[in-house]
This record gives sequence, structure tokens and C-alpha cells, in this order.
Amino acid sequence: MVEIGSGLVAIGAGLAIGLSGLAAGWAEKDIGSAAVGAIAENPKNFGRSLVMTVIPETIVIFGLVIAFLLMGKI
Amino acid sequence: MLLPEKMSKILIVGSKDKLQETTEVLYNLALVHPIDFSEEEGLSLGSPFPSASDASQKLLKLRALEKDLEIEEANLAKKVPVGEVESKMTSTIDDLNAEVSGVVETKNQTQQRLAALENDKRLLVPLSSIPLDLDLYSGYDNIAVFTGAVRSDPEAALSAAVKKFEIFKSKNADFVAVFVAKPEAAEAQRVLVQNGYSEVVVPKGKGTPEQLIKNIELEEGEVKKALADAEDKITRLRSENRAMILASEEHLSIEVEKAEFPLRIATTKNAFAVDAWVPTKQVENVKKELDSKLGKSFHFEVLEVKSRKEVEHQGSEVEHEADVGTETPVKMGEKKPISMFNGFTELISTPKYNEIDPTNVIAITFPLFFGLMVGDVGYGTIFIALGYIGLKKVTTDDWRTISTMLFFGGIWSTIFGLFLFGEAFGMPFAPHGDELTWSSLLGTALPSSFDLGGISTPFGIYNKLTDVNKLLYLTVWIGIFHLFLGFFLGMFNIAMRHGIKHAIMEKFGWVLVLLGMAILLPVIIANLSNIMNIQFSSMAVIIPLVLIIIGMAISIMGEGVLSILELPGLLSNILSYTRLAAIGVSKAGLALAFNMIAIEMLAPMGGIGVVFGIVIFIVGHLAVLMLAIISAGIHGIRLHYVELFQKFYTGGGTKYSPLRVVRKYTSER
Repeated sequence: MVEIGSGLVAIGAGLAIGLSGLAAGWAEKDIGSAAVGAIAENPKNFGRSLVMTVIPETIVIFGLVIAFLLMGKI
Repeated sequence: MLLPEKMSKILIVGSKDKLQETTEVLYNLALVHPIDFSEEEGLSLGSPFPSASDASQKLLKLRALEKDLEIEEANLAKKVPVGEVESKMTSTIDDLNAEVSGVVETKNQTQQRLAALENDKRLLVPLSSIPLDLDLYSGYDNIAVFTGAVRSDPEAALSAAVKKFEIFKSKNADFVAVFVAKPEAAEAQRVLVQNGYSEVVVPKGKGTPEQLIKNIELEEGEVKKALADAEDKITRLRSENRAMILASEEHLSIEVEKAEFPLRIATTKNAFAVDAWVPTKQVENVKKELDSKLGKSFHFEVLEVKSRKEVEHQGSEVEHEADVGTETPVKMGEKKPISMFNGFTELISTPKYNEIDPTNVIAITFPLFFGLMVGDVGYGTIFIALGYIGLKKVTTDDWRTISTMLFFGGIWSTIFGLFLFGEAFGMPFAPHGDELTWSSLLGTALPSSFDLGGISTPFGIYNKLTDVNKLLYLTVWIGIFHLFLGFFLGMFNIAMRHGIKHAIMEKFGWVLVLLGMAILLPVIIANLSNIMNIQFSSMAVIIPLVLIIIGMAISIMGEGVLSILELPGLLSNILSYTRLAAIGVSKAGLALAFNMIAIEMLAPMGGIGVVFGIVIFIVGHLAVLMLAIISAGIHGIRLHYVELFQKFYTGGGTKYSPLRVVRKYTSER
């Protein structure tokens, strides 16, 4: 039987990843669509657009780190 | 070299009658990057050589031919010698033009005729179900004729409503021809409409529709044959003349480019002047070549050897900075293997003249990061093979860049897969716990270490799924070292442009902050479970805090108060490198899932289970492989573009593009 406390920690870890993933996706969608527009106008913008688009991905990484730290507590 | 090649600005002045010769010499040298001239007082742009207009006209005709014959760029094995192109070009173009325009016209006419016949046939097909001649449908004084499709058979309703009529129906009564006396026409039409009547126009003509369709089909056959003949002829002309046409086009394009060179330089009534950049090492060669080809009839001068220092003019420092860095052309390195990574730098922008070419860093750390994220012998070997094939076969720059990533990334993946993680296709070689391993699968104990002259290197130090925290810790350190590298390169760039003092004010403060964070990191990790346990009075905490405060103070003096806002940014930069571990872990998790389904669940069922197991194994690992390329590639390069480049790279330079002739379809001599 798993303790309730451990279960809550696991839920917390899941929330950390899931919510930060949602947040990153939400932030990235606008940048991504703008980036596609910029690339369509001038393909040379690809590199810079890629950089701009992936900036919010760091949020998920934070979520992931927190999740691993929480999992360490179970 | 870390820095772009040193450049010199030269000036060549000569009399106008020597301009054409000079142009030839400069193109053959392939070293001179001309500075486009914008009009000034007393000087004007040159006018093209007379040969330009003739060549342009021929080029126009050739491109029309290419379009008609549908000739596209291709890789041709044989090159046409320039002499042959020159001697045969004019006659080939004229002959072909006459022949091709005839064939293309025939082709267009037959296509139109075919379309017209198809249309006639389409109209006749419904009528063919009724056995009446076409001329019987029209030409009556007292009879109205309705022909068309109906949804239901109208005969019963018609006989109730109309006294005198005659109806012809197709077999399943969905097409009718109704003949009615004119006074009753309106009534008949009403009944027909109730039965879903929609009119079909009867084409003019004689004979039964069936006969007519037969005739049309006969003619169609002939027309199709003519069309096929025309197309065959075009195909023949294309294959016979492709090499010559492509070669002529290339030759003429080069001619036109050379003939229009005067449009880029300054001229007076009798003289010309070319301002240009030449790599400093090559200045002597350029001068020698000009001397030997043109005699003494020109003036050659080195205006300046471009320094990388930004000269500070009063009040216009910013403007001038753009000037030095961006105007001088930058020759990207050409030494392999580093130059193979040039594409990754170009993706952002060409480096400035006075900054370190970041390709040098990308070439070393990008494959390392890629390898760390993949970290698997199985995938690594596949990447090496793919990359090797790509580098051998592919010619486009983009795909070559990707092949380079796969090849070098694959090498590191294999190395990390062997010694750091000890796994292939997501399965470890030897057990760390009771999980599925290659040893258990193959039924033999694989060696757990690699012995060489008494030094034993274990296969697999970390397990991706159980040592996550250690991997996260490791990647944070990788991040700190990578960022240190970035700050030092940044200091170097600024020291080169503005002097040591500026470099310290702008970047050294951040080096101290980063150092402080690095010293503080082990303390935080050790007390992660309870931050309150940290002894704030111990030296391990005081020293780093002092370093951070001094560093911040320097930064604030150098860059203003707003630099405080960048402190959390630096922290998130460091944490961002944990993605190196995170992506490796997530990929290992996926691979493990596929392995468990295939090997532990399906294979023991025997028979069909083994087949499904193999399918799942292959499909699953292909998916992981694709994800590995995309995620490891994008995240690996992103760490350079976002985290690293911010610390030292500006970019926005001009690419060095000397006058030169690139021949693909023709060969000189």
C-alpha cells in the first residue's frame, strides 16, 4: 500500500510537468506562427526564428527538474 | 584561426580601354571582393561592355527554350568545353528555336483539338441511349422537343396530362426525349419538371449519336498519336540538347555578369577605379598577377589593412561600430572538419569582422551535446552510417549540414553509449538492477568493463532511468563551463574592439557572478531536501555571495542598474542545460517501453507474438530514432544559439564573395 503522502508528491510532480508543458506550448504558439510568417517572407530568418520559438521551452525544463526533485522525495 | 581572416582594402585605377582585360584578370583571381560604388561628384557608374546586350538576348532565347523543353537543373556527368560552347552556341540556339517552336505549336494545337473532341463526346454520350438521328431532334414547325435527364419515369404522368405525345426513354428511364404538339408544350414541360427534368442540349449534326461517337473516337486516336509524336520529339530534343543548353546558359550568364561588372565600379570619361577587399595575405599575389597580365598600365594601392579595433569618433561611436564590423567582408573558415559546421553559424548570421567565429565552438560542443542526449551505441552507429552516406552523396548545403551533425553527433553518441551509459537501443549491456538487458536477452554475460593495459573502464557508469539526479547535476556543471566559455569569448571580443577596460566592465562582472553561483551550487545540492539547513555563516556560502555581489557591482557600473534584471536570466541559462539530461531520460523511457512490449510481453507468446514483437521493436525504435534526431538536434543547437551566443556573439557581418566564375556544366579549355 502506497502512502497517501507519496501519492500526493507524485501528483505534484505530474502537475509540475503537465502545467509547465501547457504553459510552454501556449507561449510558443504565438511565437511559432509569427516565426513561420517571418520565414515565409525571408527564409534567411530561419535561424533567428528557431531561436525565438524555442525560448519558452525552458519553462518545461524547469518543470521537469522540479518533478525529478519531488520524485526523489518519495 | 578563431578570428575571420585579416582583410585589406585596395584601390585599382586604370584607363578605361584596359577595363575589360582587368575584369578578366580579377575574375580569374577569384580573390577580390569589390565594394559596390554609389555615385559621387565627378565619378559615375560605368556602363556595361557592348557584348552584354547580345549575350542577354541569347540568354533570353535560351531560357524560353528551357521552358518549352522543360529542362531543369541537373547533375550532369559530362561537362562541355567552353570552346565548343562558343563555337556551336549561336547555331544551336537558332536551329533549336525554329524546330522547337514548330513542335511546341503542334503540341498545343493537338491538345486543344483533343479537348474539343472530348467535349463533343461528353454531350453525345447521354443521347446515345436513344436510337434517333441527331437531325430528328430539331427543325419542326408544330412540335416541341424536350431532351434531358429525369429522376423518375414521366410517361404515366404525361399520358394523363397531355393528349398527343411520343416519348423515347433510355433503358433505365433516366434520360428521355419527348415530342409534343406545340400547344401542349407548356403542360408537358410542367409534368417533366415535376419528375426532376434537367435539359440537355442536343448538338447539331447528322447520323445517330452512336455513329458520331465512333467517328469522334477515331479522330481522337489520330490526334492522340500526333500528340504522342510531338511529345516524343520534345523528349528527344530535350535529351539530345540538354547538356548543350545548360552549358550555353551557364556560359552566357557568366558573360553577362562579367560584362555588367562596370555597373559596380566608379568611372570617369577615360578611367576606372575599383575599390575592393582582398585577404591581406593575398594582396601581393593580386598585385603580381595584375602586373604580369596588364603590364604597368594601372595604379595599385593598398588603402588600409583593416584593424579590428573600433575607432571611437566623438559622439558617433555606435554608428562607427556597425561600420567596422559589418562592412568588411568576412571569409568563413575553410579548414575541415570545423568548416563543415559553417552552416550552423550562417543559420543565425555571418560573424562580424571583429569577433570570434563561433563555428569553432559549435564544431566542438554541439556534437558533444548531441551525443550526450542520444547516448546510445545502437542509435549512434546508425547516425554515423546515415551521416557518412549523407556527406558522400548529398550536395545541397542544408542537407550537408544535417549530415555533418549526424556523423559527428553519432560518433559521440556511440562513445557516450559505450562508456557513460552502457546501452544500445535503450537496453543496458549488463544489469544494474533486475531490468531487461542485452546479457539476459543473449543469454551470455557481456563484459562489464573494457580493460586496456591494466586500466579498467567500465561499460556504463550511469543508468539513464535510475541516476536521473546525478545526470541533472552533471549537466548543470556542463552548462556552467559552457557559459564560462561564452563569457571569456565575449571578453576577448570586447577587448579586441574597445580594450581590456571595457571588456572587464562589461563581461568580467558576470564571470564573477557565475563563479559565485558555481561555488554555491554544491552547497545547495547537498541541502536540497531542507534549504533551511544551510549554514549562512560558513565560508562556503559567504565567499560565493561576496563574489556575486562584487560581480553585480561591476556589471552595474559597466552596464547600468538594469543589469540586475539579467541575474535571474543567468540562473535560467544554467538550468536550461539540464535539458541535456532530460531529453536523454525521456528517450530512454520511450525505448524501454517499446522494448518491454516487444521482448517481455509479445515475444514469449511465441509464433505470431514473435512477429508482432519484431514489428513493434523496429517501428518503435525508428520513431525514437526520428525523435532523437529532431530533439537532440534542435535542443543541442538551441543551447548554442540562445544560451551561449548571447554571451559573446553579435553577427550581422558581410559574407566574403569575391568575383569568380563557378562552372557546373562547362569546363575551361
